Amino acid sequence: MKKLLILTFLILIGFQSFGEIKVVTTTTVIYDLVKIIGGDKVSVDYLCRGDQDPHFLEVLPSYMLKLRNADIVFEIGLDLEKWLPQLIDGSRNDKLKLVDLSADISKKEVPTTKADASQGDVHPYGNPHYWLDPENAKIMADEIYSTLTDFSSGDDKYFRANLDKFKSEIDSHMKEWTDKLSNLKQKNIITFHKSWIYFTDRFGLKVVANVEPKPGIPPTPSHDAELIQLIKSSNIKIILMENYYSDSAPNHISESTGIKVVKVPNSVFGIKETDTYIKLIDYIVNQIYKNG
Amino acid sequence: MLNRLLIYFLLLSSIAVAQSNINPDISLIGTFDTYMNFDKNTPEYGKLIFDIPSFELFIDGYLNPYARATANISFENGEFSAEEIYANIVRGLPLDIQIKAGKYLLGFGKLNTVHPHAWPFIDRPLYHQIYFSPDGFNDIGMDVNFLLPTEDFYSSLDLGIYTGDAMAINTAGEDVDLNEVRGNSLIFVGRLGSFFSLDDFDNLDVGLSGSYGNYAKSSFYVPDSVYLPFQMLKYFYGGLDFKYKYKPDGYTSLVIQGEALINNRDVIRGTELEPAVGNITTYGAFIYFDYQFFKQFSVGAKYDFTYGVIGDEYSYNTLSNDDMNKTNGLEYWIGYYPIEETLALRLSTQNLIFDLANNMSKPTETTITLQLLFSLGPHKAHQF
Repeated sequence: MKKLLILTFLILIGFQSFGEIKVVTTTTVIYDLVKIIGGDKVSVDYLCRGDQDPHFLEVLPSYMLKLRNADIVFEIGLDLEKWLPQLIDGSRNDKLKLVDLSADISKKEVPTTKADASQGDVHPYGNPHYWLDPENAKIMADEIYSTLTDFSSGDDKYFRANLDKFKSEIDSHMKEWTDKLSNLKQKNIITFHKSWIYFTDRFGLKVVANVEPKPGIPPTPSHDAELIQLIKSSNIKIILMENYYSDSAPNHISESTGIKVVKVPNSVFGIKETDTYIKLIDYIVNQIYKNG
Repeated sequence: MLNRLLIYFLLLSSIAVAQSNINPDISLIGTFDTYMNFDKNTPEYGKLIFDIPSFELFIDGYLNPYARATANISFENGEFSAEEIYANIVRGLPLDIQIKAGKYLLGFGKLNTVHPHAWPFIDRPLYHQIYFSPDGFNDIGMDVNFLLPTEDFYSSLDLGIYTGDAMAINTAGEDVDLNEVRGNSLIFVGRLGSFFSLDDFDNLDVGLSGSYGNYAKSSFYVPDSVYLPFQMLKYFYGGLDFKYKYKPDGYTSLVIQGEALINNRDVIRGTELEPAVGNITTYGAFIYFDYQFFKQFSVGAKYDFTYGVIGDEYSYNTLSNDDMNKTNGLEYWIGYYPIEETLALRLSTQNLIFDLANNMSKPTETTITLQLLFSLGPHKAHQF
């Protein structure tokens, strides 16, 4: 009888873990949000590491295996993950639900004229780096909540409680982040890639130039010279850049002008200290504040 | 069960009516080669030759939620041809198999399925030229791909059946009636491949390939012989391949890739008066490295070895039927990729060193090539 009870218990545990929603996310920011909302009702994995450029991910068969048994894959969308359809095809998972988290985001920099490669690596549906605005993270969390609830309506209350907690944590940090950055004397900054518009708009900063002459186009000596002139004439204090880009051009500009190069991750796990979304934004804000 | 039947119905109906409001992806890869040959025995010696630009036009898209179709129309040496045209059912089939049917580059080894514009070097490996064709191993048929239940690493098995046109072309070139060469006999090609993610920065793919069938009728080489009764000449190719890539960041990477092939086949031997069928075993292999040392630059080197002499005419004892002579190749290159992979410039030098039997000799051939390559449109990256 005792053995039978143990066996029944083990089977029930087995069923419980089998009942978890299996989620794969394209980026580590989404990974963190799914972990927060889904808690122990989901098992979650990610494809692109936090220290990798999500524009370019190699089509590895190991990623196909991750997607093979997943129920849901969440993506940033807006043409950021051009590599995802190949991975989904390779997974052969015909039950996989693809959720684009950009659906309810107010998109910025949507081209108003015909987009082509002469403008650099433009995203025809708008700038995809929206996760860097914490208010957008709340919209992403809403979408994740609604998708998880569709899969497991019985856990609605659990997901809702996690969602509310996350949103209130964001709200409580927003004041501190906004206060810090609003105190900066020089609100104009330079960024390496055109990826900070959602962040800077939220916190009242202004991107006056990019180190890349056009999105995705490597820095050139003539463009560097223009930036050096601009920095000297406008007294700009920082170049903000993602930690997966080479800092050789920004460092060259820094040597000529004294401008500070602020190299930060733009995703969770981009460095060891940024193992949650809130810590990520906190780190970025503090680095700008310290150097600005 | 009903769901499965519905999926099959959708697949069939979509193939039958094939209507969609969404345009497929269209990409064009253009190539322009300029080269100089340092072989004193050729009329091109020391002259700068401009090849006719070539291109590949890719049309690719989903037919429905379960299947894709791809066409690759190439223009090479002033002629258009359908290099690849196939449909691929990617999901929804029993056992999660994938089926590919049409005309395409066969999965023998790893490099053959990768289009040449995606190679870091310019010259096709010598063993491909000897045992496949100057354009690779390309045939009409069908392949079934199984994902093997290895939980910790990705492993897949391809089994394919083909018309054998590829082997007939390998035997006699493209300008003959292929039925004259081999008749109506099919060939089989398969590959077992495994992918290992060693850590965040290192990946390794290894594979075993095999191909079996008839490559020619004995009467193609020796018509109406009283000494040699008609028979089909058989071949077996066995292959081993690997690809290792170390990529610590977006700016540097190291690729080491190699393949080897063993060829066992019936061949015509004996004398002109008394021909007989014999059997030979020969080999071919290559290994290369490509080191990306800045985002925009890479350098590399490739070593090739194969039985057979590059540039020989087709016959019963040359090229893939040759078990006496050998060719070695050394290629070095530097690649410049100014903006991602939309544009590439490659400067390459290749030395072909011949090792001939019976005290024969052939001078080393050196070719320097400058290649300009551009990629227009959303052409998909190749899988690792």
